[in-house]
Amino acid sequence: MNPRLRNTVGLGLLIVSVVILARFGAWKAGTLTSAMGRLLEFSRLLLPPRWDVVPALTASMFETIQIAFAGTMLGWVFALPMALLGTRTLFGPASSGFARGVIGALRSIPSILLGVVAVVAFGLGPLAGVFGVALYTVGYLGKLYYEAFESVDTEVLEAVKSVGTTRLQLWRHAVLPEAMPAVISQLLFMFEYNIRASAILGFVGAGGIGYYMLGYVQMLQYRPLTTAILLTFLVVMLVDRLSLWLRQRLLPDWTAAR
Amino acid sequence: MTFTPALAEPAMPLAQPSASPRAVSACALLRASQVSFAYKNGPVVLNGVDLSVSSGGVTMILGRSGSGKTTLLKLFARLLSPVQGAVDAASLPGGKQPVVAYIPQTLGLVRGRTALKNTLAGALSRTGWWRSLLGHFPSDVVRQAHAILERVGLAAKTHEPVACLSGGERQRVAIARALMMRPNLVLADEFVSQLDAVTTREMLDLMRAQTSEGTGFVVTTHDPEIAAEYADRVLIMRNGRVVFEAEAANVSARMLLDRLEEAHPLDDQRRVERSGQGVD
Repeated sequence: MNPRLRNTVGLGLLIVSVVILARFGAWKAGTLTSAMGRLLEFSRLLLPPRWDVVPALTASMFETIQIAFAGTMLGWVFALPMALLGTRTLFGPASSGFARGVIGALRSIPSILLGVVAVVAFGLGPLAGVFGVALYTVGYLGKLYYEAFESVDTEVLEAVKSVGTTRLQLWRHAVLPEAMPAVISQLLFMFEYNIRASAILGFVGAGGIGYYMLGYVQMLQYRPLTTAILLTFLVVMLVDRLSLWLRQRLLPDWTAAR
Repeated sequence: MTFTPALAEPAMPLAQPSASPRAVSACALLRASQVSFAYKNGPVVLNGVDLSVSSGGVTMILGRSGSGKTTLLKLFARLLSPVQGAVDAASLPGGKQPVVAYIPQTLGLVRGRTALKNTLAGALSRTGWWRSLLGHFPSDVVRQAHAILERVGLAAKTHEPVACLSGGERQRVAIARALMMRPNLVLADEFVSQLDAVTTREMLDLMRAQTSEGTGFVVTTHDPEIAAEYADRVLIMRNGRVVFEAEAANVSARMLLDRLEEAHPLDDQRRVERSGQGVD
């Protein structure tokens, strides 16, 4: 892109953003300053955190982690075969179109709505959370995986295909091992993401720490809410470090060179 | 066989057809008849190729980039189907089809898996679906894979991931996977193009050793010296046609190089000038 065109596009994007914010009333006199004032007032209510709720919250945080773990694994088990079906280098337009349709539909439904559906099916509690997370995981990992499968080098496919393999053998012995670094690192990322997602799912009654958070908001108890948010932040940080550590151990050295 | 008229007569006095020890005696395994091929919305890659390849010996196909060598190998490997014409396979004793192994230019190895597992992939077509799904090969197949890896000189690196092997070692793994298929014919695309001189010789010697077991090789290359030294039969391709074919015993590297230069359309003008000066 030539520099002149780039500048024009950049300026255009800036103008559009300013206009949209104006339509929403962001530039009205006093809007931003009064918002700041209210936030300051609200943050006085949030602080200091209440530490006496930590034992109860720790138990529910542990439940959230369990929901995220079981949901991620369950979703992963279904995402792999769905992604296999959706791989256009292995399957024709009919089956890959069907699999991509299902994966796309699951991804387009917001995870909180999937949580509501799961609560309807399984009742209030962590089991609903697990299924809500699993459904969302199929939609998300399914797409990442069929893209990883399709990007496998065609010469590897041709070399193994010329042995006279079935499609399933080709997938198991060429596509999957070639895509394995992507499969593992995206699974780890999904687990991290699902910790946050399952905290949110608690808002619709699917168990875990989100259930407490919603309760505190509804009862205007902001100081224990701060404790819950800090705890979630702490766990997300820990899982982030853990998955980095796992990634370094599970993925062979040569993947770094890719 | 039909050839373009320009090549029906030799440009240089040929050596007397001799009873070469490497003479191609085995029967034809695959036959391409009037094969033409073009990729979707692409130019014509092959244009009426007639060619048979046999089970014994080494056939080398010379040609510049874009002459159609790789496409021809893929048609023989049944990875592509001809747009016109046909590729037929001979029926072997017992009504079996010949087994054809294909080694692509970049070898097509699974980098994260060990030499052994890559070799075992060559046995997939005779492995049951649930065994192959679990990745659990029968013990006699595993023994066979170990024996083949030893034969190609990789016994010490059996459990190394391919990504950690050198270029020559990877080449050996690719041969091992092909041999695991118990092939009648191995098709290898630009098989020694990326190797140093010593490793190239080791690979070609390994290949020649296999021909004594009755395996045929079809190898594409752009190196006339290799073709003259290691092939039993040499072909030259140009613009999707086979424009030259000879027993290797009857040609020299120098002559092949001349032929290859002739076979390049951009050099037509130069050739005319050269022959005008009486150099040719």
